[in-house]
Amino acid sequence: MSAKNAVLGLVIERPGYGYDLARRLEERFGSSGFAPTGVYSALDQLSSDALVRSVGSRAYADNERAAPRTIYEATPKGVDHFEQWMVGCSSLAPVRDELYMKIALSKPHNLFRLIELARSQEEDCLARLQSLRRPAVAQDGPRAWSEVAVLLVRDAEIKQLQARVEWLQKARVVMEKLNEAQTRCSAPGDRVA
Amino acid sequence: MSSQARLLLERVSKSYWRGPHETAVLKEISLSVYAGECVAVWGQRGSGKTTLLKVAAGLEAPESGVVRFKDQDLLRMSRSGLVRLLREEIGWARRTGPESDELEMLDYVALPLLKQQNMRRARRRSAAALARVGVAECSKGRWDDLTDGERTLVSIAHAMVRQPSLLVVDDPTANLDVLQREEVMGLLRSTAEKDWLAVLITVPDMPSMVHAHRIGSLSDGRLLVPSGASPDRDNVVEFPLRARGMSS
Repeated sequence: MSAKNAVLGLVIERPGYGYDLARRLEERFGSSGFAPTGVYSALDQLSSDALVRSVGSRAYADNERAAPRTIYEATPKGVDHFEQWMVGCSSLAPVRDELYMKIALSKPHNLFRLIELARSQEEDCLARLQSLRRPAVAQDGPRAWSEVAVLLVRDAEIKQLQARVEWLQKARVVMEKLNEAQTRCSAPGDRVA
Repeated sequence: MSSQARLLLERVSKSYWRGPHETAVLKEISLSVYAGECVAVWGQRGSGKTTLLKVAAGLEAPESGVVRFKDQDLLRMSRSGLVRLLREEIGWARRTGPESDELEMLDYVALPLLKQQNMRRARRRSAAALARVGVAECSKGRWDDLTDGERTLVSIAHAMVRQPSLLVVDDPTANLDVLQREEVMGLLRSTAEKDWLAVLITVPDMPSMVHAHRIGSLSDGRLLVPSGASPDRDNVVEFPLRARGMSS
């Protein structure tokens, strides 16, 4: 999935310039791994498809010599396109994971390293979770849908991390047992249990 | 912030026996909780989260290791000293509710105070505690009438009414929807900050952890904490033993 529809949605929410949109994209979909430069190519593509248009420019407050920033807004065609995308089907992302492949193709002598990798990934997942900021939401009273939507999307991201950590922990425990059994049993070959 | 941990666990180990089989639940766990912060520990079912909390709150003794609360060694304390500590300094949020179904929540939350105060004063403080956690309207209600979210908040009020130094909550977000969870977790975090309380909680779901100042993961008896400082809590002192050094 490209950043095109995400950038279009952000422009519809509020017109903005490239850097501003890249920042907002990171803020809202940081875990999706969109490259900041992807915003500029998405804007080029959206412009050439007449889904967004330039509505002027804003000079840098602290640098008069720098080229002014182009501000984009959605065209009516862009809003229609976004609405069509919103009601369209959403496909499941394919699971293509390097650690899965390594485990599938590993030999008993790789177990020790795989255990280390699993532990390291578990730590990375927790670090990523810790780096997620709490969404700024009202403490009291009814919540706006935009706030709830942010919560739900953040939950989905965290639940994926949780599923990953749960699997890593289970895989690590099994690999540790097999590794211990292998260490005790000096017989060569692939039978370790 | 004081550099001294309000709660400190050092190389704590604990096992349970099931018939002839010994199961190690905690393996040399080290953890510290400071005043003004909420620490959340996540773990899968059966990972030892509740055992960790019971050891931290002095309700169960580990086989080895050190548990210090306000620099006092809980394992060397007299039984009466420990009882006093549990009554006055450590708030354990029980989610089982009152023994009697007939008890109104105002009286249930007031119960822990009755040893030192008369009913009128205890009720006044109970009402303040219920209001503080946002469920003042439940004061005339009974446990069976409350929603899961309200029960959690009343339990927290019950644990906090004595103004403890350490608040321990097992699974405060169980059965809550996203919005209720945000409310409860936001409350625990702000309570830690505003009341200068050390808060230790366990959670079965990772989304709850985003509100904690620091987080850890418990599995196979070992505690893992991520490297790096908390993004919005730079002045919090880090766990003394970090990442892989946390457990053997």
